[in-house]
Amino acid sequence: MKSLVCSLLLLLFSTAAISADNRYNFNSQQDRALFLTLTAELRCPMCQNQNIADSDAMIAHDMRRKVASLIRQGKSEQEIIDYMKARYGDFVYYEPPVTVATVWLWVLPVLFTLGGLILVLRKRSAPADADTRARLQKADQLLERDK
Amino acid sequence: MKKSLVVAIPLIIFLTMAVFLFKGLFSDPRALDSQINGKPLPQFQLPDLMNPRQQYTPEDLTGQVTILNVWGVWCVTCAVEMPYLTQLKEQGVRFVGLYFDQDLDPDFGTKRLIDVQNEVAEMLAQYGNPYAFNIFDVQRDTSLDLGVTGAPEHFVIDANGTVRMHHVGDINERVWNNKVGPMYQQLVQEAGGSQ
Repeated sequence: MKSLVCSLLLLLFSTAAISADNRYNFNSQQDRALFLTLTAELRCPMCQNQNIADSDAMIAHDMRRKVASLIRQGKSEQEIIDYMKARYGDFVYYEPPVTVATVWLWVLPVLFTLGGLILVLRKRSAPADADTRARLQKADQLLERDK
Repeated sequence: MKKSLVVAIPLIIFLTMAVFLFKGLFSDPRALDSQINGKPLPQFQLPDLMNPRQQYTPEDLTGQVTILNVWGVWCVTCAVEMPYLTQLKEQGVRFVGLYFDQDLDPDFGTKRLIDVQNEVAEMLAQYGNPYAFNIFDVQRDTSLDLGVTGAPEHFVIDANGTVRMHHVGDINERVWNNKVGPMYQQLVQEAGGSQ
């Protein structure tokens, strides 16, 4: 029973994947998996917030077709990514390269966290008594004067 | 002194962010860096749209400054710019069309060539014909190699066959006077005068 439910669930979730790429014939399951990975990671230059698996723009159709044919030619994942980058720039791949301009995406959060930590630690270690003592003294002086 | 510095830090951060985000307001999110700029045309061998026995290669786009216009009959903006392009052609600007068809899916089913030709002939009769000739990008591979994202797009190509400008969108009077025209004139000068 349990296995039946599992296989039914599997069927349910796999149909989406199958319907997306059963139009293309691949020689092996690895190729098919690579196709699904790549079309999820490559970004459509026309509908800029979709990957080419989702987008219905003509260019996305053409890019899917090109990815499938490159896979059939036995190209590796990196080769296909480079092929697309050569035509559409770094924009086309959802993982930005580390350059002087993009390194801040990683550096800023770290700096921010470190800065926050330093502030918190300094707040903790700051002797609060000195200040309080000075104020009490000042208050005493005022009291003395008002007498 | 030290205290004023500490107070100033959030202000500096805020100002930096404000400037950065303000600049972002005026940047075009759809603008992409063209990868083909400054590079020679990609290799291709494609038929003439109206006379498929005639084959073209990048060599056919050398020798004089050419504007390669990517277009299709299914593209509304292309129809809008066509009369203006025709005017430019009458002033001596050389346009070559790179035609691709939307309904022609290389994977499934194809439209007959004669239907495509009829549609094109009809449209050119209606809006004017700016093209010296039309290259038919049958599989849309050359468009992909050029980094085309849609239509219309224009590639200004110098006399040596190097792409010198990639303009996404239509050419109207404003675009011609401010962007594409000056580049075209400059390349004509480089090529040694008149076309």
